[in-house]
Amino acid sequence: MKVYVIDNGSQWTHREWRVLRYLKVDTKIVPNTTPFDELKDLDGLVLSGGAPNVATEAAAMGNNGEYLDKADFPILGVCAGMQFLCEHFGGTLGPGSTPEFGAVPLKVDDHDDLFKGLPDEFTVWASHNDEVKAVPEGFDVIAHSDSCPNEAVRCRDRPIWGVQFHPEVENTEHGVEIFQNFLRIIEDHDY
Amino acid sequence: MLGAEDFINDTIEDTKSKITGKAIIACSGGVDSMVAAALVQKAIGDRLLAVYVDNGLMRKGETEEVEAMFKSMGFNYVIEDASEEFFTALKSVTDPEAKRKIIGEKFIRVFERRAKEYGAEFLIQGTIAPDWIESGDGVRDTIKSHHNVGGLPKEMGMSLYEPLRDLYKDEVRDLARMLNVAASERQPFPGPALAVRCLGEVTPENIEIVREACYIVEDEIKKAADAGKMDLPWQYFAVLLPSKSVGVQGDRRAYGRTIAIRAVSSIDGMTATYSRIPLDVLDAISQRITNTMKQSVNRVVYDITNKPPATIEWE
Repeated sequence: MKVYVIDNGSQWTHREWRVLRYLKVDTKIVPNTTPFDELKDLDGLVLSGGAPNVATEAAAMGNNGEYLDKADFPILGVCAGMQFLCEHFGGTLGPGSTPEFGAVPLKVDDHDDLFKGLPDEFTVWASHNDEVKAVPEGFDVIAHSDSCPNEAVRCRDRPIWGVQFHPEVENTEHGVEIFQNFLRIIEDHDY
Repeated sequence: MLGAEDFINDTIEDTKSKITGKAIIACSGGVDSMVAAALVQKAIGDRLLAVYVDNGLMRKGETEEVEAMFKSMGFNYVIEDASEEFFTALKSVTDPEAKRKIIGEKFIRVFERRAKEYGAEFLIQGTIAPDWIESGDGVRDTIKSHHNVGGLPKEMGMSLYEPLRDLYKDEVRDLARMLNVAASERQPFPGPALAVRCLGEVTPENIEIVREACYIVEDEIKKAADAGKMDLPWQYFAVLLPSKSVGVQGDRRAYGRTIAIRAVSSIDGMTATYSRIPLDVLDAISQRITNTMKQSVNRVVYDITNKPPATIEWE
């Protein structure tokens, strides 16, 4: 299985690569300026987080929009990756009412896919100044926290997921299982 | 570590094919550079020279400890005392990024001199993933310039070879144990050494204060761990703050410096939580510092911040 990581400049992009590698996935970190044509044979894609303020520095997010428009394989956006995909499909962003750095108690609202087999509540680690204020039409919120109403989203008619927190860091509980669930989604995906 | 044996064999093969002449390795005695040295030594033997720079900013007894490890590993090595050069370059510098860049550059100048003498075309470094990630690049913010990445000057008369670039500390430790490298369990220590634990200006006097405080923190925590009171943290040390505060010592007013104790747990250094040190251990550290260092320190505090939002070291 081939799942690449789009590098949007996160401190933890390389951690996403490490988690996928340890799950025996054929993976590689590629810049977000990579043309979609070079990625069209992938089985799945992770959009990393990054330092840019997604709402005002769209250029720093490179070709993420093209990947979201053209890909027929599953995509998981992390942190700024989730913020970007939400805004791209019509959602709105803004400064977090309570910015989250470090441990956050996550409350799962939907166990159908990304959080399959995981507890209703567990601790994840986040690091973000901005957040998704309104999710795009056609998206469901599948997890929240007391300080951030939109911690994870899923698109209803396309295989696109987003998480505001960071499943790739060591301190996030069940982080590897979230990636395993994403890989299962990829395996089961019907083109 | 996943596929450690393959990694060792592949790295030795890769080193053999790339390094045909002589090489030097920048070797601080930490687990990263020791593992890199052990791997490259296996590939090219005595065509490798390990260079340890005593920059005047190392911990108590460190240079002697490192030399003993070099001997036990059978390295071809040289130890250079460059402390004056470093202190001169750091005079009146207080900005953390400026300190890191100056130190990185000074290191390279020493390595260049040694490489020329030895006839080496390659500089080997034990750079690991967090070093280049945190140093920043075209898309990534600079959190701190690691001396071996962000401190490298653009013009350098050697080719760089960094076999551990994609690994994290936990993986390097696994390799160290497999290769019987003496440094396998040593705690991480930053390249710019005590300079980034001395907030404000780096003077020999300030370094002496933080060196002694670091020694006390390490010694008390090791004693507590040996006595079964706590696990050894991932990293544990003292930081000298640039501010002063009022105290009272034997009915006399004191106005002295503050030491912050920092101890964290982590797996890979990319996230960390502060250690829950038992209060009686904190108490022992605080009393020993304020009693034995009363001339300079009259207050001790404990850092209770995780990474993020803080980093492990203060600068």
